[in-house]
Amino acid sequence: MSDINFRLNGREVSYSGSAADRLLDVLRNTYLCTSVKCGCKEGECGACSVLIDGVLFNSCCVAMGAIEGAEVVTMEGFRETRRFEVLDRAFGELSAVQCGFCIPGMVLAAEALLSQNPQPTEEEIREGLSGNLCRCTGYNAIVNAVGLAAKEGKGLW
Amino acid sequence: MVNGYSVSSLAEALEIRSSHSVVPYAGGTDLMVENRKGVEYLFLGKIPELRNITEDDEYIRIGAAVTFTQALEDKKVPDLMKEALKRIAAPAIRNAGTFGGNLGNGSAKADSVLIEFVSDAKLRLASRDKERIVDVDKFYLGRKKLDLGEDELILEVLLPKTGLDRYSYEKVGGRNALAISRVSFAGIFDEKDGRITKLAAAFGAVADTVLRYKDLEETMLGKTIEEARELKEKYLESYAERMVLTQGRVSAEYRKNVCMNLLGSFLAKFGI
Amino acid sequence: MEKISQSVVKKDHAPKVSGRSIYVADYPSEGVLCGKLLHSKVARAKILGVEVPKLPEGYFYVDARDVPGDNNVNIVLDDTPVFSRDTVEYIGEPIAMICGPDENEVARLRDECRVNYEEMEPVLDFRSAEEKFFDYHFGHGDVDKAFAEADKTYEEEFETGYQEQAYLETQGMMAEPEEGGRMFVHGSAQCAYYIHGAVMRALGCGPTGVHIKQDVTGGGFGGKEAFPSILGCQVAVAARKCGKPVRCVFDRREDMEYTSKRHPSLCRYKAAVRDGKVTALDIDVKFNAGAYSTLSAVVLQRGIIASPGIYNIPNVRVHGSAVKTNTSPCGAYRGFGGPQTFFAVEMLMSHIARDLGKEPLEFKKAHLVKQGDQTSTCGKYHFPVPIPEMIDEVVKESDFENKRREYAKAQTGRYRRGIGMSMYFHGAGFTGAGERDLIKAVAKLRKYEDGRVEILASNGDIGQGVRTTFPKIVANELNLPLEKVFYEHPDTARVPDSGPTVASRSLMIVGELLRRAAIKLREQWKDGEEQEVEEHYKEPDFVIPFYIDKFEGDAYPTYSWAVNAIELEVDTYTGVSKVLGAYGSFDVGTPVDYNVVMGQMEGGFLQGIGYASIEKMDYDSKGRIRNNSLSDYLIPTTKDVPKLKCMLHVEKYPDGPYGAKGAGELPLVGAPAAYLEAMEQALGGIELNHAPFTAEDTLRAVMKEVG
Repeated sequence: MSDINFRLNGREVSYSGSAADRLLDVLRNTYLCTSVKCGCKEGECGACSVLIDGVLFNSCCVAMGAIEGAEVVTMEGFRETRRFEVLDRAFGELSAVQCGFCIPGMVLAAEALLSQNPQPTEEEIREGLSGNLCRCTGYNAIVNAVGLAAKEGKGLW
Repeated sequence: MVNGYSVSSLAEALEIRSSHSVVPYAGGTDLMVENRKGVEYLFLGKIPELRNITEDDEYIRIGAAVTFTQALEDKKVPDLMKEALKRIAAPAIRNAGTFGGNLGNGSAKADSVLIEFVSDAKLRLASRDKERIVDVDKFYLGRKKLDLGEDELILEVLLPKTGLDRYSYEKVGGRNALAISRVSFAGIFDEKDGRITKLAAAFGAVADTVLRYKDLEETMLGKTIEEARELKEKYLESYAERMVLTQGRVSAEYRKNVCMNLLGSFLAKFGI
Repeated sequence: MEKISQSVVKKDHAPKVSGRSIYVADYPSEGVLCGKLLHSKVARAKILGVEVPKLPEGYFYVDARDVPGDNNVNIVLDDTPVFSRDTVEYIGEPIAMICGPDENEVARLRDECRVNYEEMEPVLDFRSAEEKFFDYHFGHGDVDKAFAEADKTYEEEFETGYQEQAYLETQGMMAEPEEGGRMFVHGSAQCAYYIHGAVMRALGCGPTGVHIKQDVTGGGFGGKEAFPSILGCQVAVAARKCGKPVRCVFDRREDMEYTSKRHPSLCRYKAAVRDGKVTALDIDVKFNAGAYSTLSAVVLQRGIIASPGIYNIPNVRVHGSAVKTNTSPCGAYRGFGGPQTFFAVEMLMSHIARDLGKEPLEFKKAHLVKQGDQTSTCGKYHFPVPIPEMIDEVVKESDFENKRREYAKAQTGRYRRGIGMSMYFHGAGFTGAGERDLIKAVAKLRKYEDGRVEILASNGDIGQGVRTTFPKIVANELNLPLEKVFYEHPDTARVPDSGPTVASRSLMIVGELLRRAAIKLREQWKDGEEQEVEEHYKEPDFVIPFYIDKFEGDAYPTYSWAVNAIELEVDTYTGVSKVLGAYGSFDVGTPVDYNVVMGQMEGGFLQGIGYASIEKMDYDSKGRIRNNSLSDYLIPTTKDVPKLKCMLHVEKYPDGPYGAKGAGELPLVGAPAAYLEAMEQALGGIELNHAPFTAEDTLRAVMKEVG
């Protein structure tokens, strides 16, 4: 039986546990990527969002066997990028972060959206973030922050 | 890998499916929520044949491991299907969820399945030793019961290429995103030389399987719009009599009322 | 905009946005036991015994017998057990905890525990429940006379359902035995000192035997006011028994089913009208408290004090009760009793107006309280009531009058529209004499030799921004750059008790203490020296003393005010409604940070709209909560209210820092009434009286109208 090999935040790793394990649990417990939050384990909140080969997924709904050979990016990796800097500044400027629990997932959802659509309309931003629940902000600040990041980060996406 | 098989060819997948007790895993969005203990997954995501959308003279052929996002980006996929796909959950779920998984989960709430029902889609299934094509409505035997052998996999959805242009689609969820259907409706209408040639109506999320009453539909075929309009009241009554709906988070009564309203609205849209 | 209102990048922004913040579930698991609770599966029973499976080495079973001190959690009363006594009173009641190193194994062992119950008939219907935890009466004027002299009287019943806080981070606490026998308890919480008091009692130790730290907390909204005291006791008892750190983090279903929620309510209002004005209200408010009393006393008090609304009614009689049922105990949730009674009184006023052939807005305006008027408890509105100006703001922003007129015309299509308005207050700070008699807040500033200043207080940042706004106040008074002033998450071993993080009090009360402390420090500032200053709460001189036994006096020193308008479009085929726009004017005094306050307003308003519409939770005939997941209990997404427009109206409060008043709870309170009034209009002017009003309710109303 061979291990599951994948790239995590740019690093080659192999996982020797069960292929049926949740990516969410493995990221948190084995690789200590605690930016990936567990909000529901049912794909209903988006707090555990990660990028797999650049695409947004709820890591609670991904079994380890499905990521063999894939590139997984969590906030631990994304925060080292220039795109993150732009999103970080925009979220900061508009005070879009309250309790913070949804935020790493929200920022990754923004990244996934902007890499598909660098100049989204407000409606498109709301669609792009629609799988990420936030109970604190009412979403306006977050949506505006993503819009601001798109403007400030022109050319990065 | 432990507790799972990752395969890169269909032959390999069918071989494992026939020789082991495995749960086919495509997108994972339903399976991981169920979180069954002690299962072995057969990971289908890397099989090229299952990830393609192709077409022939008659059908758009959507591979079982094609994701909803992929289908939304593909020009070949008809608008009616896209209407349903874009209202599924949210981006992350659409990135993961697949046509095969939506079928295999066996739920009448599956939004892509509703479209397959209303459009008379067929499914191509295969085991190591044989292949068969089955009508989607025959594939569903009951709640969570499918005509799928222990050794079989769903390979493709065969969606008719023509006749899907004049339609109604409605999804009633609890909110504007991340919503599981409470009632869903799809209707297709077509006419030729002033006479109705198609009047299909399917109802999702209201019973154990998607509901469609072809015998009732047939009573309208060949009629002119004026004739159909005269039959409308009786036609709706027949639907109301036939539809026995299940209670869920919303009541059966609510579902029934919504179904009848949406059916009526569909008929009205095409002048009936 | 005043300087203090100008927004800054929040102090906790960087660690949170980058995912570096450590929430309680994020501490490494090495050496930490996982604790899982064995919950009662029945609503009411005697426990005859528990068959515990054979526990592997390193695994523990912890129950009431392991509580070294008192098995009663101190909240308001002491009736909530740490672990079940010999009975269980609701589905979910914690009977025991299994602890051990492997989470899956702990879950397996927990699931294999067999509890032998002798079941009893549970009380589930709170309308007919007889046991009252709390029963209050108050009023003023001569209600009977007013009714006798009335031109017309009205009687109506209003109902509201549960609301689940649905903070994104579930409940979680962790206890770590320290050297010398001291217990360290930390986790997701609002009120470190509440937990401190509770754990002290459970462990039977003195104040130095335990210390509590608030970890970074993923939302509270009231849900982490009292509940962490219970969970804190449980992990502390478990850690004491196991001799190792124990952490218990709830999964979502556990959290939704078994933790406290907003009280369902039933309000009966009778109104007397004479010469076109309401002359008397006779009000009966009943809250479903659930199985234990927890915070129901204070939630009920706030609810009934607000029950006559913001109207000047000369004769008022109020009866309020919180009844016991065999269901999950209800507790604090943003608004704290106010959303229920404001819903009732706003709908009532609207209905009376329409019956009298008047526009609700004009009718309400004719009854508004103003500065100097008497409150429901014979206190006084000491400060200007800015509601008329705020109505104008909302009317203008929402184009209210035109829409209201337009939508009043007969509508026939599939989609129909309506717009509605509500107006209300939130009493700022604790109800009654709580600040003066119970809390007695103390806050400190410590200046280090290098000139940095640390704030020492016990108010937790749960997202509302006190780690930023407190330092802004102090930095402003000391003329220091904001970087020089900092506020860590409170640890009771280091900080004085400045009170709990509740009642929209932190900024107004503790913020003012800190402002005064900063002035004191400024006056005695010595470069290069470590210095400490302390301030104590003092009740403002103008306050008319409040007596809870009589419900007399100033229940609150001041009030925050709000006007909401909501515009809807109803799909009469499906009952589904679309919020076309939600408009709110909010007066919380001076915003100490504009973005922070707007974030509170927008977030709270959206929660209120959820409460009005899609957030439905109920229990089945066995007493089990049916809506126990985020797919069954729906909260708004980004796409549900895209047009959410909040405005700030500033009526300064002289005793709050720079004029600030309570802010956090206000924006939630009025949404249901505005939403339902809009719904009534869209449905052709029918009368509605319960919230949430779901798509199913809407369609039922449509069908009824059609016949």
